[in-house]
Amino acid sequence: MLIAPANRNYRLVVLTIALLLACSACVRQERAIHSASDTAGLRQVTDEAGRSIVVPQEISRFISLAPNVTEIVFAINAGERLVGNTTYCDYPEQARQVQKVGDTLHPSIERIIALRPELVLVSTASQLEAFTRQLEEHRIAVYVTDPRSLEDVFRSIAALGLLLNRNDSAQHLIDQLRARAAGVEAAVSSTKPVKVFYQLSAEPLYTAGRDSFVSDLIRRAGGESVTADVPGAWPKYSAESALAAQPEVIILPTGGSMGDTNGTLAAALQRTPAAMKGRVYKINDDHLSRPGPRSLDGLVELAHALHPEAFKQ
Amino acid sequence: MNPAEKLAAQSEGSIRGANAARVTLSKTITACLILLLLLVLTLFATSLLGSERLPALASACALSTLGKYACGLSPNQAAILFEIRLPRILLAGAVGCSLAAAGASYQALLRNPLAEPYLLGISNGAAVGTMMALLFFGGYEWSRPLLAFSGALLATLVVYRLAQGRAGASPERLILSGVIVTTFLSSAIVFVTTMLDATRIRSFTFWLLGDLSGTSSSLLAVTIFVAIAGAAFLAANARSLNLMMLGERDAFDLGVEVTRVRLIVFIAASLLVGSSVASSGSVGYVGLVVPHLVRLSLGSDNRIAIPAAAICGAIFVVVADTVARTVIAPRELPVGAITALIGAPLFIYLLKRG
Repeated sequence: MLIAPANRNYRLVVLTIALLLACSACVRQERAIHSASDTAGLRQVTDEAGRSIVVPQEISRFISLAPNVTEIVFAINAGERLVGNTTYCDYPEQARQVQKVGDTLHPSIERIIALRPELVLVSTASQLEAFTRQLEEHRIAVYVTDPRSLEDVFRSIAALGLLLNRNDSAQHLIDQLRARAAGVEAAVSSTKPVKVFYQLSAEPLYTAGRDSFVSDLIRRAGGESVTADVPGAWPKYSAESALAAQPEVIILPTGGSMGDTNGTLAAALQRTPAAMKGRVYKINDDHLSRPGPRSLDGLVELAHALHPEAFKQ
Repeated sequence: MNPAEKLAAQSEGSIRGANAARVTLSKTITACLILLLLLVLTLFATSLLGSERLPALASACALSTLGKYACGLSPNQAAILFEIRLPRILLAGAVGCSLAAAGASYQALLRNPLAEPYLLGISNGAAVGTMMALLFFGGYEWSRPLLAFSGALLATLVVYRLAQGRAGASPERLILSGVIVTTFLSSAIVFVTTMLDATRIRSFTFWLLGDLSGTSSSLLAVTIFVAIAGAAFLAANARSLNLMMLGERDAFDLGVEVTRVRLIVFIAASLLVGSSVASSGSVGYVGLVVPHLVRLSLGSDNRIAIPAAAICGAIFVVVADTVARTVIAPRELPVGAITALIGAPLFIYLLKRG
């Protein structure tokens, strides 16, 4: 009588162990079968973070975790294979219809796996380390794009064209974008660069730093970001340094995904030459903060704001 | 002897007799004058430091004339000094004064050396109030300090009620209630920030850690006014607080209207915490570290401890914010990170010693 409960426990333990062993065996077997059948159709690619990943020759299902990547994907006509994206992916219109897997920083790993993608495209690797490891355990490749300049954007578009077998569309798009960029740069080439302050948010004051894509756009538009040498992509910035830099133009990215936030100039910047001469411009933040095809709209708008004289007919 | 008893025992000595009271008064005035002088010197010295280097002599000259004469500063340099740097330093002073005075009063009233606005969840209550104001009455700046005050008062009352056990409020029980309220309100804050769009999260997270940049002049005026009036009011109630440190029943027997004193101290301290959180987020550990250091050096009589803590709190936050805005200039750190970096180790040290 006394031994019985212990005995039952013992049996339960043995049974559990046996079950676990059986399960792990079948998982291993299934994996073995999978990889054996796939080796023929696999290829190895290196992403923009320098990681080497293995993807199928033909990618039929993939997910994008960044709005700029989603825009590129649709622009190179690969959107019909996009099976999941984020709540921030709102352009083009078709991107809204795609299944949402959460926002950029907090995607639902369960939903991603449930969508059975072969590839997940992300825009920066930094916050996704644990998450990338989990996906790779499920044999879902993670490709990191990390454009920090307009040239990088063209490179990302070309890479995604190769990855998604849309090379021709990608090259065509790049040619178009390059032509527009060249047009803008030619128009402002003879102008004197103006000093620009980029106000990402007024309270507290944030701006675009050294690693930001915006600094490159400003330079190409005939400007010179006064914070171009500040470490980081989006540093919090000292109000007195912003005023001391005497910017001639201030850019407020607002009106896109930001809604009406960041629509007003920081109080500390009211005395800058830019504010006193009325040279504070609002530009759709989606055109400036998403390194993708619409960055060219951002470039055109920036150039018109910085050098209106260069575009008079 | 636990620290609360020690505080009570020390103060008992100083509340005997009218002669002692006169000695205390002159001692208070001397201490406060010296500390005020130190505060003015600190304000002056930190005004000369910043991410932009201004000519020191000209700045000192302009400061000493309160901006009447530029003393050779360019209009741009004068704007940096008087419109950006000085308001921020004054805000730091007001916030430090508020939090330290509130902390010292909570410690006396609750007979608990660990009582502090941040640790008791009162700052978080004010933070939730401020967020509600930003969400629903974004256009009305006045709603921020008002709702922050309401949040702080509500959090105070909840913590106080939770701490009352059958055997009265023990220090441990109070801190545990504070922890519960803090974590509950933190989750509420996380919930609200998740609901907000991504672009506003960044500024919120910075603000939650305590950030002194970018406050409007009207909010600055409110914060300074509340800081001075609130600290003076609490100092005026210091005698009652001294008696409360003996225990509420003894205080009652000695003629203190316990319920009334408790309520008005809660309201005054919540106003102080509310206005400072509304203008600068939750700057932690000020209300703990400063009153302790003051009591260690000047004794635990609240008639000295509260005004001295208020002035020293101002000095502490002004210095901490100067570090925050210069150490990685032109980038900035939140001041709350600096006060916690200084405060937490000091707290551990005090705990080990006490």
